[in-house]
Order: sequence, then C-alpha cells, then structure tokens
Amino acid sequence: MSFQAFRRRLRYLFERDEFAQDLRDEMRLHVELRARKLHRQGVPEEEARHMSQRRFGNQTVVHDMSFEAWGWTSWERLFQDLRLGMRTLGRTPGFTAVAVLTLAVGLGINSAVFSVVNAVMMRSLPYPEPNRLISLWEETSQQRLRQFSSSGGNLGKSGGPRRTTVSVANLVDYRSRGQAFTGLGNFAITPMNLTGTGTPERIPGESVSAEFFGVLGAPAAKGRTFLAEDDQPDAPPVVILTDGFWQRRLGADPAVLDRSVVLDGKARRVVGVLPPTFQSPAQFGFRDRIEFYVPATFPRELLGSHGDHEVAVVGRLKPGVSIRAAQDELDSISAALAKQYPNSNDGVRAVIGPLHDDLVQDVKASLFTLLGASGLIVLITCVNVASLLLVRAVARRHESSVRLALGASRFRMVRQFLAESLLLAAAGCAAGILLGRVLMSVLIAIAPAGIPQIRSVTMDWRVFAVCTAIATITGLAFGIAPAWQASQTQPVESLKTTARNTGGKSQVRWRAALTVAEVALSMVLLVGAGLLLKSFVVLMGVDLGFQPDRVLVMNITLPAPRYNTQDERLRFFQQLEERVRPLPGVRSAAVSNRMPLRGGWGTGISVDIDPATSADVDSQAVTPGYFETLGIPLVRGRLLTPDDRSGAMPVAVVNAAFARFLLPGQEAIGHRARRGSGPWITIVGVVNDIRRGGKTDNIKPQIYLPAAEVGLYPVRLGDLAVRTAGDPRQLANAIQSQVWALDKDQPITDVRTMEEILDASVAQRRFQTLLLAIFASVAMGLAMIGICGVLSYSVSQRTPELGLRMALGAEPASILGLVLKQAGGLIGAGVAIGLLGALGLTRYLESMLFGIHRTDWSAYVLAVGLLAIVALAASLIPARRGSRVDPIVALRYE
Amino acid sequence: MIRERGSPKREYEIPPGTLDMLILKTLARGDEMHGFQIADFIQETSDDVLQVEEGSLYPALQRMLIKGWITGEWGKTEENRRARYYRLTKDGRRQLEQEMQRYERVAQAIARILQPARI
Repeated sequence: MSFQAFRRRLRYLFERDEFAQDLRDEMRLHVELRARKLHRQGVPEEEARHMSQRRFGNQTVVHDMSFEAWGWTSWERLFQDLRLGMRTLGRTPGFTAVAVLTLAVGLGINSAVFSVVNAVMMRSLPYPEPNRLISLWEETSQQRLRQFSSSGGNLGKSGGPRRTTVSVANLVDYRSRGQAFTGLGNFAITPMNLTGTGTPERIPGESVSAEFFGVLGAPAAKGRTFLAEDDQPDAPPVVILTDGFWQRRLGADPAVLDRSVVLDGKARRVVGVLPPTFQSPAQFGFRDRIEFYVPATFPRELLGSHGDHEVAVVGRLKPGVSIRAAQDELDSISAALAKQYPNSNDGVRAVIGPLHDDLVQDVKASLFTLLGASGLIVLITCVNVASLLLVRAVARRHESSVRLALGASRFRMVRQFLAESLLLAAAGCAAGILLGRVLMSVLIAIAPAGIPQIRSVTMDWRVFAVCTAIATITGLAFGIAPAWQASQTQPVESLKTTARNTGGKSQVRWRAALTVAEVALSMVLLVGAGLLLKSFVVLMGVDLGFQPDRVLVMNITLPAPRYNTQDERLRFFQQLEERVRPLPGVRSAAVSNRMPLRGGWGTGISVDIDPATSADVDSQAVTPGYFETLGIPLVRGRLLTPDDRSGAMPVAVVNAAFARFLLPGQEAIGHRARRGSGPWITIVGVVNDIRRGGKTDNIKPQIYLPAAEVGLYPVRLGDLAVRTAGDPRQLANAIQSQVWALDKDQPITDVRTMEEILDASVAQRRFQTLLLAIFASVAMGLAMIGICGVLSYSVSQRTPELGLRMALGAEPASILGLVLKQAGGLIGAGVAIGLLGALGLTRYLESMLFGIHRTDWSAYVLAVGLLAIVALAASLIPARRGSRVDPIVALRYE
Repeated sequence: MIRERGSPKREYEIPPGTLDMLILKTLARGDEMHGFQIADFIQETSDDVLQVEEGSLYPALQRMLIKGWITGEWGKTEENRRARYYRLTKDGRRQLEQEMQRYERVAQAIARILQPARI
C-alpha cells in the first residue's frame, strides 16, 4: 500500500464521525432515489419505499462493511475490548489491586534479578571484538599433586586438576611457539605505596606486559601505552595512569606527560593516561579501583623457573582462529614443555577459555539459580492470578451468558477476556518494573563485592523487553483458562439457574490443578532455600582451628629501595612489635608474611625420610607471638621462641596434617624438612590444623618458620596481627601512629578485623541464601493466598450443602474436617509433585552447596513441614467459616 | 454479503471480481456520478440483467477511495440534495485498463472452451 493510501486511511481515523455521517447520508439518498424510481414505474408510494429498503438490506451492516474497507475495524474492536476490560476491572478495584500487586511482586523480583544477570552475564565486555578475547591459565593434574587434603576434615569439593595462574617462563614459550594469538598479555594486581602527593597511601595498580593494552584493544587517551622496551629489566621506570588518578590526584593537569609519580619510592615517568571507560579484566570482581599500570618486569631467576605460577594472562585470538584450534596448539606446546622440563612441567597444561566466561564463572551458578528461582515466582504469581480470574469468570457467568445469547461470538468472548488479562498484565508489568527498580537498588546495596560489574547494573532495554515479554506471556497464560471457561458457557443453562453459579466440574478441576501447581512450585523453592540454609549453617559451624575473634590485622608493605633486605624488614617489624605489645588493650602481637584469610604461599617441602620427593606445603614465616595471637593450640613439642633466629639451629613448627601425611606413623618432632635445596630444618613442635583460606578451605600440611631466621623463607613479611582485650577496631589508630613513629612515609593498608574478613568471605553465600529464603517466603505467601482463596470460594459454593449437613445433625468439627480434608488433598498432591520437582531441580544447586548433599533429608523435611503447617493454617480460615454456617440462613437461600 | 431475497429470478449476480471493473468503466465515461446513479446505470445499461447490490456497492466504493482509483466530492443533485459524486482518477483509469485486459483474456479463454474448435 502506498503512502498516499495510508495517509487517506489515517485521515479517516481522525475524521471518523464525519465519514460515518457522510456514508449514512449517501445511503439514505440511495434508498430514497430507488423508491422514487420504483414509484415512477408504477409501484404505490408506500410499497415502493418498503421495497427499496428491503432491497438495500441492513443499512448498519452495509455501513460496517464499508468501514471495514478502511482496515481499522480489528483495531477498533481491540480498542473496544480494552476499554470494556478497563471498565470491568475498575468496577472491582479490590480484585484488580490484588491481581496487579501479585503480578508486580513476581515481575518486580524477576526484573531486578534479571537486570543483575543481564549486566553481569550478558553484557559484552567493554573491549573491541570481545569474542576473540581469551583467558589463559594452567592446570596441574592431580596425579602430580600428591593428595594431602585430609579426608576426614575435608568438607569442600576436591578432585579435578588444580587451576593456577601462569608461570612467566612458560608464558615466554606460549608466546614464541604459539601462532594462534595476536598477543598474550599478562597482568597481576600490584598495589604500591604512593608518596609525594599528600599523605602516603597504598593504592591498587597492576603490573602488565607490553602486549596487555594491545590485546585488549585499548589505546591511551593521552600519550601512549607500553612499548616492548618498557618491560626490559633495565628500562627507565614508567607508569600509565587511569583517568581517575589523573583527575583526582593530579587535578587533570594537562602537562601530565611531563610529570613523574613516586610509587614504592621510585619516581616513574608518566607516559600515558587511559580513557575513563577503560577497565582492566582484573577490575571485574575487584573491590577497589585500579589506579595505575606499570610494566611487569621479572627478575631473571623467575624467567628461568617454570614452576612458579605468578601471572594472569589475557590473549586475543587471530581472526578466524577458533578456541579449539588454539587449545590444540597449546596442548602440543604443553606436551613439548613437559618433555623439556619434566621436573616442573610434567602434568601441567595451558588451558584457555573465553575471557567473559572466565570472569563470571564464580558467580554464574549463583546468578542463574537466582534467576531460576525468580522464574518460579513468576510462575506462582501467574497461577495465583489465573486462579483469581477463574473465580471471577464464574461470578460473571451471567454476563457471559447474556453476551453469548445476544450474539457475541465465542471468539469475541475469548478475546474480551484475554484483553482483560492483558490489561492486568500490562498494569502488573508497569508496577513490576517500578518495584523492580527499587529491588534492584536493594540487591546492589546488599550484594557482596566480587560480583563483576555489579556497580554498572542498570535497567536497559533488554530488561524492559524481557519484562514486557514475560508480562505478555503470563497475561495470555493466566487469561486463557478463564477465557476458555467463559466461552464454553451454555447460555441457556446458565440463564435458567440464576441464583447461584456453581462453577461446574471443569472449573473445580482447573482450580484444584492451579492450587496443586502453586503448592508444588513453592515446595521447590522451599527445598532450595532449605538446602542453602542448611549448608550455610554447616559452613558457619566449621571450626577454623584458630580464634578469629578480637584480632586486628593490617598490612604494612615496606617498599624495596628503603627496606632492601629481609633483615631490614625484620628489624622494622621487630621494633614495631615491641612498640605495639605494651599498648593498653593489646594482649599479644605477631608478624607474618600473610595472616590467615589473607592469602599465603606454598612451597615444595621434602622430609628426611624421603628426601627425593617434595610436597606442596602451605608455608609461613611467623614471629613467636603468632600462635598465641591467633589462638592456635600446641599439640606436642614446643612453639617458636625469640631464640630461634639466624645463627641458631634452623627449626620449624608444623601442623598435625603435616605430621600425618609427610611423616605417617612417626613422631614428627626431631625429623627434618627442607625447602628445595635449602638447609635442613628440624621440626620442634606440632600445632593444631587450621583452615588458612577460611571455612571452605581444606586442611593442608603447614609449616611455620621462625621469621627471625630470614634465610629460611623467600617471601617478605607484611602482615601484623594484634589480639586485643576489647573491640579490636579501637586500637587501629594507636597502632598506626606507632608505625608512623617508626617511618612517617609508611602507609598501612587493609586494616580489618579477622571477623570482618570472615564475614566478607561468606558474604556471597549469605547473599544467595538470604535471597533464596526471601524468594521462598514470597512463594509460600502467594501459595497461602492461593489456597485460602480457593477454599473460601469452595466453602461459599458449598454453603447450602454444609447448611443441610448441619441441619441433619453434623457437628461443626466434622464440617471443619470435611473442608480440611479437601485442603489436605490439594496440599498433599502439591507437596508430592513439588518433592519430585525439587529432587530434579536441586541438581543446579549442587555447586552452591557446602558440606551437604542435595538430597540432605533435613532440608526436605523442613520444607514439607513448613509448607504443610502454613498451608493448613491458610485453610483453617475458610474451614472455620464453613463450620460456622448457620443452617437456617444457608437453606433459606435456595 | 446481503442478498436480496425477493429479487426477480431473471437478474444475475455480478460475476465475482468484476464489480470494481464495472464501476470504473461506468465512471470512465467522464461524468461525475453518485452511488445510486452508478448502480442504476449498470442495471439499465445491462437491460436489468446485472443488478448491483448496495451491500457490495458501498464497501467497494470505500475500497476504491482508499486505493485512490476514484475521488469523491460532495455536491447537490438536481433536487438540491446532498450527494457524493465520484470521479475516476488517473490511477483508476490505469486500473480499469488492466482489469479489462485481464477480463478479456479470461473471457476469450472461456469462450474457447465453450466453442469446440472446428477441424
């Protein structure tokens, strides 16, 4: 159809009344002229008029047909249906409010969860051609790692190859031998002490290889990114700043490229400033803003050591190269490396995967579970509204009958009812998006750090599209049953029985089915929530092996030029300990490389009974106060003392797991252990096992070396821990001023209590458990409303019957039983179906469970019990009403 | 469709698809005509064989208005009554030619079947 024709049709739409009047005039004239002609031909005047009129036929129909030619009729009917729907809904504001609110809850939860999933999982990464970006890591097969995890205390998952970051030495080979990549860039988060721009501060940054920015396809906004010569060991020190650093710390100085910035005591020339939009892959899931990038230079010994896995790697596939092909190529390189360096590379394999998948893998299961749960809630709301609409359809049977009797087609009836439910859906969708907007902010506020891109969550067109789509589908879904019902009305039958509209058999079946569905869906959610709750309880009950309460920890990273040797650093920390210990409120203090829950280091240790094999042992250099400060009890032998220092006999304390696995069946004390080819160290004591990494961590063999024997360990000291008598946070300032008394330029970072760290470590689990518990409660609430509604309706339908029973001598209690029996049947069926569904669906929860199996009976019992009690409570209200029916009133009705 | 039940037997239905053509042809004579005149003209010219039903005429006129084959303008009859006079447009003339060609082809084809070819 041409534009002209469309314009004519549009004009018609706006001048419809005029058009109608014209057509009527035209037709009236036609009839008159015809009559006059007939009259001229000899027909009497009256007769001629009648003939003419008969011949013309039904003017209204011709009129309508002429209008249909303009092609707006179906729209007009739809409009009529909607207007009528709006009026009918407006007449029952209570029903409308309940239905819209129910829908709003379902759609609101759904759109809030979906907007998070959308932002985190679906939005593509902010780099050009993100599909070609891959993440590369290394996997060490379990055959290589001797199994040291204790089976008794092991609650977390095990098995499968262990995934590590990449060895720099191997990376050199992947780069030089691999053909599949345009580049492989390595990066590692490297916080540094910033001085010279106000108070000393430790700020997060990254050390990256020269390829890094090229691989990501990120040019600098000012200046340049790194060149190949920048990461040579003897290159002049340079730095690239983020837009945030440049704006906030340098006041957006236009001459920034002429400036230098002092990081870890070294002046670095600024060679570039990044655009504000740039985000490193390391930033996803990292709480603090990364502020600068320095070239990653590696000491020569690291470049020769294939066994140290140090860096994260991002790569870009050449155009047209598939991940598979690239993986095949890497496999052959890994195999070649394993032959070349069997000591370090046997069983080690480089693995790649899409960068996006890698970034979101930790939260994937959790988010999809939440999305699934919110989907179930939408289903429940849908069922609930369908059930409400059914009741209404019955109440409106009289209306339907009249309309059918007056000639409305059944199709038109279905359409009318669907229009109504779509109106409800539209209102519910609008309210749902509003509610979803609020819920989304709540979600973001309570979401634990570590969900990538959580801060960029917004409602974009996809959220609206999905919400609208769901609303439309639900509108049709919950509208179809009542619409079908209404169209099946038998007008004759229905008009005959005016007084009471019993729903009829199919109606009862529909509603029973809906109630059962509702109970079943709630059951699934309840079981899921129950399992997560139980696993959270199990997690909270895990014994860490040390006492995290009232311990304050902080990190003091002494920069290299100022504190160049281990001895200098040791001296600083010993002085600091001396100053901190006498502070009021301090019970004890200790220094180590890293305190528990804050990372650690592992190294290959061999023992004297089998010097040829080395095992991966969790290692730590500690000052003597360490065990007292953290509350790790001694099992046998002695703890470390101040006398265990350089020059004295090298000694160490190990944990019970070390003794169990490396020295099985022997008294560990007196045996000797060594790190690589280092000196032999005598074991002098055995302490309790601790879960260093937190509650989900496995128990591993551990060795504690005296911090004062600096030759025994290669990792610098950094963490100070203080056990206090009162609230540990109140001591933070006092301790900081002691640090500054020793070195006024020394920043202190990561000041936190152990309990805060523990709290954060379970935050994600708590988050998902909390949400699922809320979802399950909402579902249960909706199911309750549903059951209550169905039974109330059924009781009101059965009032005469119940009245008759009572007139014939039935006790109120037996009536109560009668209604409850009906409820029990529905609830029982729902619970049974829900249990089956839960058994199937909890498969997807498995990765989120800790310490329990998904068939853990207590969660199921809890869910069944809770649902049964709540559902019965909901049925008690209508049941009691049924038992109070006054027989006289009830029977008078008939 | 509204069929005139009492209509005399000797009148024939207008063959499907030809009503538009007949209306266009009627208007093609150049005069402006209103609805009744069109219907009357077709009936008279066909010696009362073809009777245009009002139930089809007015929807057909509306359709052609949309398509732009005809235009309608309000005027007065000789008795000073308000009436819509239809007139053929350029598009309408083109359409008429097409429909007449098509009709002729079909009519010839039918004729060939009905009159067996002589050897």
